[in-house]
Amino acid sequence: MLSGRVARLLARAHQTWRRSLQVRVVTITLVASSLLVGGFAYLIADKITTILLDNARTDVQLRLKGGAGYAAKQVSLYGQPQEAQLQETIEGTVNYLAGGDPQQTSGVVVAITAADYPTMIQTRTAPAANVQPLISKELRAAVASGKVASQIQTGRLTGEPTKYLVYGSPVPTRFGQIELYYLVPLTRQDATAADARATVVGTGIVLVILLGLLAALVTRLVVNPVRVAARTAQRLSAGLLDQRMVVNGEDDLALLAASFNQMATNLQRQILRLEEMSRLQRRFTSDVSHELRTPLTTVRMAADLIFAERDEFEPAVARSAELLQAELDRFEELLTDLLEISRFDAGFAMLDAEPTDLVPVVHRVVDRLAGLAERAGVEIELDLPSTPVIAEVDPRRVERVLRNLVGNAVEHGEARPVLITLGIDETAVAITVRDHGVGLKVGEEKLVFNRFWRADPSRARQTGGTGLGLSISLEDARLHGGWLEAWGAPGQGAQFRLTLPARAGDRLTTSPLRLVPADAALPFGGPRDGGPLAIGPGSGPALAIGPASTDSGEREEVRS
Amino acid sequence: MRARPLLGAFGAALLLSAGCGIPASSDVRVDGRAGTATEAGSSNGRSSEPPTRNASGSDNAAFVRNFLSAAAGEPDRAYERVKAFIAPEHKSRLQDKKGSEVALTVVRLRETVFTFNSDSTTTVKITVQQIGVLRTNGTLAPPVATETQYEFRLRSAALGGTGSDERAGQYLLDPPNVLLLSDVALQQYYQDESIYFWNSDRTRLVPDQRYLPYAVPDERRVNEVVRWLVGGPSDWLRPGVVGLPDGTELINNATGANNRWEVNLDMSGDDQSRVDQVITQLAWSLGDLPGELELKIRNNSQPVQDLDERRAAYQLYPVRESPQRYGVYEGAIRPLDFAGEPSGVVPLTPEVNRAIVSAGLARGVNRVLAALVVTSGRDRQRLAVGAGADTVAAVGRSAGEYASIGRPVWLRTADSRPAQGLVVADGRLYRFDEAARMSEVPLNLPSSEVTAVASALDGQRIALIAGGRLYVAALNLDGSGSGVSIGPPRALVTSLTNLTAVDWIGEDRLVVAGSAGQPAIYEISVDGALETPLRTDVGAKVNHLTAYPTNRSVRVPTGSYMYEANKVAYRSSPFERIEPERVRDVPAPPAGVRPSNPSAPFFLY
Repeated sequence: MLSGRVARLLARAHQTWRRSLQVRVVTITLVASSLLVGGFAYLIADKITTILLDNARTDVQLRLKGGAGYAAKQVSLYGQPQEAQLQETIEGTVNYLAGGDPQQTSGVVVAITAADYPTMIQTRTAPAANVQPLISKELRAAVASGKVASQIQTGRLTGEPTKYLVYGSPVPTRFGQIELYYLVPLTRQDATAADARATVVGTGIVLVILLGLLAALVTRLVVNPVRVAARTAQRLSAGLLDQRMVVNGEDDLALLAASFNQMATNLQRQILRLEEMSRLQRRFTSDVSHELRTPLTTVRMAADLIFAERDEFEPAVARSAELLQAELDRFEELLTDLLEISRFDAGFAMLDAEPTDLVPVVHRVVDRLAGLAERAGVEIELDLPSTPVIAEVDPRRVERVLRNLVGNAVEHGEARPVLITLGIDETAVAITVRDHGVGLKVGEEKLVFNRFWRADPSRARQTGGTGLGLSISLEDARLHGGWLEAWGAPGQGAQFRLTLPARAGDRLTTSPLRLVPADAALPFGGPRDGGPLAIGPGSGPALAIGPASTDSGEREEVRS
Repeated sequence: MRARPLLGAFGAALLLSAGCGIPASSDVRVDGRAGTATEAGSSNGRSSEPPTRNASGSDNAAFVRNFLSAAAGEPDRAYERVKAFIAPEHKSRLQDKKGSEVALTVVRLRETVFTFNSDSTTTVKITVQQIGVLRTNGTLAPPVATETQYEFRLRSAALGGTGSDERAGQYLLDPPNVLLLSDVALQQYYQDESIYFWNSDRTRLVPDQRYLPYAVPDERRVNEVVRWLVGGPSDWLRPGVVGLPDGTELINNATGANNRWEVNLDMSGDDQSRVDQVITQLAWSLGDLPGELELKIRNNSQPVQDLDERRAAYQLYPVRESPQRYGVYEGAIRPLDFAGEPSGVVPLTPEVNRAIVSAGLARGVNRVLAALVVTSGRDRQRLAVGAGADTVAAVGRSAGEYASIGRPVWLRTADSRPAQGLVVADGRLYRFDEAARMSEVPLNLPSSEVTAVASALDGQRIALIAGGRLYVAALNLDGSGSGVSIGPPRALVTSLTNLTAVDWIGEDRLVVAGSAGQPAIYEISVDGALETPLRTDVGAKVNHLTAYPTNRSVRVPTGSYMYEANKVAYRSSPFERIEPERVRDVPAPPAGVRPSNPSAPFFLY
C-alpha cells in the first residue's frame, strides 16, 4: 500500500523531473548551492569555534601561569607535606585564585590536588565542588608528569551539565609537586558558537532559498517564451499558420521570438505560394481536360461518322478511320482519367460507401475483361469464398480498382494465368491479383503507383493504358481508408493486394491475405520445403537469415 | 517537489550543527613542561629542632632538659614532639589542643630532684618559676599556671622496662598536662623579634616583643611577622598602641624570593596615609631584612618600597647623636669625659646648674629638656623643670617639697608638643610638665610604694618598681600633652628580689638592680623571660641606675649603663668606677683635699 504510494510518488516525481526544465534547474541550483553554502557555513562555524576556544585557552593559560606561580610562592614556605598550615595555605590559595570570594559565580573552579601525597594533602577546590570526575585519568597523568595540559570535559559541578575547559599545571614545591587545575566553564563560548552557527545556518538557508527562487525566476523568464514558442510551433504545425509569438523587448528571447515569427511568416508565405501553385496546376489540368472535352466531342462525332462510313472508303482510308476511332477512345479515356485525378487532387472525390457483396463485383470485372484476356491468351482463375463477402465500400470505385489491377495483370501476364483471390476476416476484406509476367524489379513496388510511370519507357504501348490507372486506384483505396500494395520479383510476376476495412471509417491493422504470394521464391533461394529458417548473427550489425542446417540439434521454432 | 532540496538543506544544517561547535570532551592537549622547580629551601645553620627523646640516652638530667625543650619549634606540631617523650601508655594523659590554643608554659627551672623507685622508674620533681605562656602568636603572656612544682616519672624505653639501653632512651610517665618549655630552651630555640605598632595618635612606633622559632624557615619569617601584626599587639601594650584596622586579614601567605616580598592584606579603609604607615610598620617590623616590599591591599598593588629606604626615611626614634655622659658633681651637672666618646657641654646656665641632686635631661625636638631634683632647704627636695633651645636658662620649681625625689624621666615625643615626664617622689608616681606642675598618677598596683620609674625610648612604655617588684606598662599620652594615663601594669617575673632601680637598656630590654642573694644588676627582657646577669658583685644597694637604650637609630656597640651604689658611680663597658678626674670643667682640687665623687650619672640623648 505504502510502497505503491511511494512508487506512484516517485513516478510522478520522475515525470515532473523529465518534463519541467524549471524543476530541474531549481533542484540542481538548490542542491549545488546547499552543498556550497553548507561547506562554507561549516568552515566559518568551525573557524569561529576554534577562535573562541583558542581565546579561552589563552586566557586560561595566562591565569594558570599566574596561578601556578602564585601557588608555588605560597607553598614554597613549607618543606613538609604534612604541615598543618600547608592545608590552610592551599585552601587560601585556591580561594584567592578563584577570585577570593567563594560566593561569586563566575563559574571558574580552581582546584589543587596532590597526586603524590593523596593522604597528606586533600584536594581543595574553590568554590567547593567535586572536580574528580572532570579531571580525567589521562589529564591527571599528564600533569603529574610535570606538563601543562588541558582537556575539554563535560560534567556537572553546579546544576546543569556544562562543558569545562580543564587546564592543569604542576606546581613545584619544596617537598615535591602538587597540581593546580582551572576548570573554566565554556558556557559563554558555547552559546556564542551556537549563536554564530545559528546565524550562519540561517543565512545559509535564506541564501539557498533565495538562490532557488532566483533560479526559478530566471528559468521562468527563459522557459516561458520557450513554452510559448513551443505552443506556437505546435499550432503552426497544426496548420494555424497565422500564429505568432509576442515580442517583448530586445533581448535574446525577443530575438528568438522575432526569428520564430519571421520563420513562421516565411513558411506561411512559402506554403501559400506552393498551395497556390498546386491549385493553379490542378485547375489547369482540370480546365485543360474540360476545354479538350468539347472539341473532342465534335471530333468524336465526326470520327464516328467517318468510322460508320468506312466501308465506302478506300482500304487505306478505312484503316485510318479505324485508327482514328481507336486513338479517340484512348484520348477520351485519358481525359476521363485526368479529370478523375484532378478531382482527387482538388479533394472533391466523395466516397459513396454501401454494404456490397464483392464476389459479384469480381465476377463482373472478370466478365468485362474476358475478351481482352482471351485476346492475350491469358486464363483468369478465381479463388473466391463460397459465401458472400460483404463490406462497406463504394462498389463503383472498387470495381474500377479491380478492373485496373486485372487489366494490368492480363496485359503483363505474358499468356500465363492470372489468379484473383478474395479474402475476408473480422475487420477487413482483401483482394489479390497475381500474374506471372516479367514481374517487378526491386524498388518498383512503390514506383508503379506514380502517375505516367512505365517499367520500360521504350516499350511500345500495346494496350490502351493511360498510365494513370494505378494512381487513381491508389487514391480510391486511400479514400476507403484501405491499402493498395504491390509485390513483384523479376521473372516471378507480380501481385497486387487491395485491402479495405469491412466497415467504412475503421482503421486497418492487418490484411486477410498475404502480399507476397506463397509460391514466390525468397531472394536467397528460400528454405527447403518444410525446412526451418535460421536467423542468426551476420557480418557486422546485420542479421543473417538463411536456411537452418538440418543436422543442427539445437533449434528454436517460432510458431504463430 | 521542492521538499527534496529543502530536506537536503536542512540535513546539511543538521550536519553542521552536529559537526562543529565545542566538543563535549576532547583529548588531552599537552602544552609542554611547566617552569622549573622552586629552589630548595634554605635552612639556617642552627640546630633549629630540639633534640629527640633518645638523644639523651639514659642520662636523666639531659632527658629532663630535652623534655623541657621538646615543645620548642612550630606550635602546630608541639604536641607531637612532646608526646614522643611520653611513654605510649601515658600519651593520652597529655590532651591535645589545636590551632591558636596551643600554648607553651614557660618555666624557669630552679631545682630537679631525682628519686629512684623500686620498680626501676625514676620520680622527677622539678621546682620551677612560672615565667609566662608562649602563645602561637609569639607573645609571652603573663603566667596563668601557679604550680611551682611538677612531678613525673621516667622509665627506660628498653623492652620490659628493665636495664638501661643507651639507644632506646627513656620514656616519661605521668606527664604534666601542659607543654612545658624551659627558659633556656626559649632562648635556644627561639629568636626574639621586635615588631612595631603605632601608638594611639599614630606618631610613634612602639616595639612589641615576639618569639619566632628557629625551626621556621627564613622564607616564612615575613609571613609570621605579618601575621603577628595582623593579630594585634600584646595585651599589656594595648592601652598605648593601635593595631591594624579591625578585620584586617592577611590574604594567604606573605611570600617572597630574591629580596622581593609580597604581602597581600585585606584591610578596610583606603586611606593612603594609613597604608603608608602599614608599610613603615612592616619595614621596621621585618628587622634589618633587605629588599623590596610590595604591599597589596585587597590585591591592589601599592608602589614597591625598598625596605632599607623606608627605614631610613622614617626613623624610629628622634635621637640623632650618641649619648653624652653627665654626672652631678658638687651639686652641679658636669660632663663626664671618656676616651673615644663624645662629650658635650652642660646645657644649663650656671644659675640653674646648682644645688642639684639628680637630673633627667633629654633632647627634644630642637631643644633641651631638663628636669632637675634640687635641694630645697634641709633634707627637702623640689623638682625644677625647664626647657631651652640649647641651654636651659630658667627653670620652674615644683610647688611641693618632698623628702626624696627619684630620678625624673622624660616621656619622649616625636613632635613639639609640650613635654611631660614622670618622677617618683616619696614613693608615689607623679607626672610633671615643663612648668614643673606635678600631679600624682594613679596606679592600680597591690603595693603603692613606687621606687623607680623608667621610660622607654619610644615614650610609650614605662618600667616601674613598686613594692620591690618590677612592672611594665603602656602609656597613653593625652593628645594635648596635658595628661598621661597608665595602662594596667604587667608584673614581670625575675629571679631578683628587692628591686631598687630600673632603666631601659634596649627596645625590649630592661636593666634592673636588685638582690640575687646579694645586690646584682640583671638585664631582663621586657616580658621577663630572658634574664642575663650583668653584675652580681655590686656589693651595695644600687640606688641610681641609668642606661642608654640600644636602638636601631643610633647604634652604640653595647648597651651601656651607669649606676651609683654606696655614693660611688660606676659605668659599664668597660666596667669601671667613674673617677673624679673624669669630670670635666672643674678645677683640680687643692692638694690634699680628697676630691668628691661624681654621683647620679646620666646620659643625655
